[in-house]
Amino acid sequence: MPYFKDADEVYRYIGKLFEDLAVDDELAPKFRKANTIVQYRYRDPESIITVKLIEGEDGTVDCGDTSMEPEVVMSMEADTAHKFWLGKVNVTVALARGQMKAKGPVAKILKLVPLVKPVFPRYRRLLEEADRKDLLEAA
Amino acid sequence: MEAAAADPGARQMAGFKDFFQYACTTRLIAGRDLLGSTGFEFQKEGAQRIFLVTDRVIRGTGLVERVEAGIADGGLELAGIFDDVPQDSSTHVVDRCAEKAKEAGADSFLALGGGSVMDTAKVADAVFTHGGSAREQEGFLLMPRAADGMGRPDEIAPLACIPTTAGTGSEVSMAAVIKDPEEKLKIEIADFPLFPRLAILDPESTRTLPPHVAAATGMDAMTHAVEGYVSVDWNPHQDARSLQALRMIRDNLERAVEAPEDDAARGNMLVAASIAITISLGSVHAMSHPAGARFGVPHGVANAIHLPHVIRFNAEGGADIADRYRDIGEIFGLDGPEALADHVAAMVERLGLPTRLSQVGVPEEGIPTLVEGAMGDGTTLLNPREASEEDYATLYKRAL
Repeated sequence: MPYFKDADEVYRYIGKLFEDLAVDDELAPKFRKANTIVQYRYRDPESIITVKLIEGEDGTVDCGDTSMEPEVVMSMEADTAHKFWLGKVNVTVALARGQMKAKGPVAKILKLVPLVKPVFPRYRRLLEEADRKDLLEAA
Repeated sequence: MEAAAADPGARQMAGFKDFFQYACTTRLIAGRDLLGSTGFEFQKEGAQRIFLVTDRVIRGTGLVERVEAGIADGGLELAGIFDDVPQDSSTHVVDRCAEKAKEAGADSFLALGGGSVMDTAKVADAVFTHGGSAREQEGFLLMPRAADGMGRPDEIAPLACIPTTAGTGSEVSMAAVIKDPEEKLKIEIADFPLFPRLAILDPESTRTLPPHVAAATGMDAMTHAVEGYVSVDWNPHQDARSLQALRMIRDNLERAVEAPEDDAARGNMLVAASIAITISLGSVHAMSHPAGARFGVPHGVANAIHLPHVIRFNAEGGADIADRYRDIGEIFGLDGPEALADHVAAMVERLGLPTRLSQVGVPEEGIPTLVEGAMGDGTTLLNPREASEEDYATLYKRAL
């Protein structure tokens, strides 16, 4: 059974994490160095988050429909995304097994991977604050 | 081990791994006088009307005629020849190659050349079979698949490779690297259907190889073997391949460069390169890809320059990493990573290759763009020691 019951839950937690990162004084400028628009396409439940990471521009996060044209598309199960943000997914293994699939100029997004470690505790905190012990323990 | 289980990002350089994957589906034949059997062998893989991909240098060596005769001897047809592959092939060349193969009514591809030719044929085959453009093929495990993209990948047209250099290993790998001239970067395409169905290793195909190319491509093979052994993505199957490849490189590379008439050394280098190849690489390749894309540094030369610096950098990252370099050093009768790095640097010099980036046209002001490229290269994630932007800047400066 998937961790998230519907797309709204994905947006409430993973989407919120992206929104918080987009306005983070310390991390946002580093992520914007990617200079791209990334779309995360999740399965089970079907959900889409599109993130604009363009240097010198404000970060934009669209949950669901978007008018932004993604350059990089990352596809995975929502469960994999959840585990990733909890720090429980090895990206190279996930890519090697096809659990995560990346389409487009992947180099732009791969250089962000070493930057995401400080985000893991934030996601955990976000779930704790929402009293979603079930999601923390499920993964 | 416990740490590895608790933290999937933790480095694990020994023991039973939580996960690894190994595949090599290419049928390989090696030996003497095999070019004349090209048609006989390729027929077994489903080829009937072959589209031959090569370059103009190879065309001038007489090899193409020998392979053509081998195709005819097996009762197969040559649908056409594409000899327009440059040293660093591009997405445009691939698209043109696929189009020409379609126009020729081909049903299979045969690559006769080095890494650039083989990678062109691989990606052109994917475009030929599935449509789209070369640029759209970029990605890891993204080729069309059954079961809504989650099942078995769809086959591409039969592909055979006859390498004319001993280094790239593309003839037995599932990957291809092609330059995107607009973006000035190298795109990587990797998926199981890109394993060629057949590889023919015949020392005759490297007989006319200039010594400096034999040296550079040989160092590419050596780098594959070393990086494959120390990558975080190491596995016991690749360990065996890397260590045996290093023994063969130790015994044959300098012989093959110094005495190009030595068929056995050249044949053994072809075999060593096919054993060494892996997609589990590291920071040497992460640094060399942008050096090729931005400044045209030949891939093997870039690897030869970067390898000693990355050995030193990685070995300082932990005893577990240093131990892996120690294993490699033992093959060369050396004690420890520092001695290995010195040995590699001296070997590069003996082979007559450039030892510094500044000797191959890389200016100091080019370092920031190289660093950016290295950070975004997929192989960075597989390096045993995490390399930051500052680390890459330092490594490039040391290599300058």
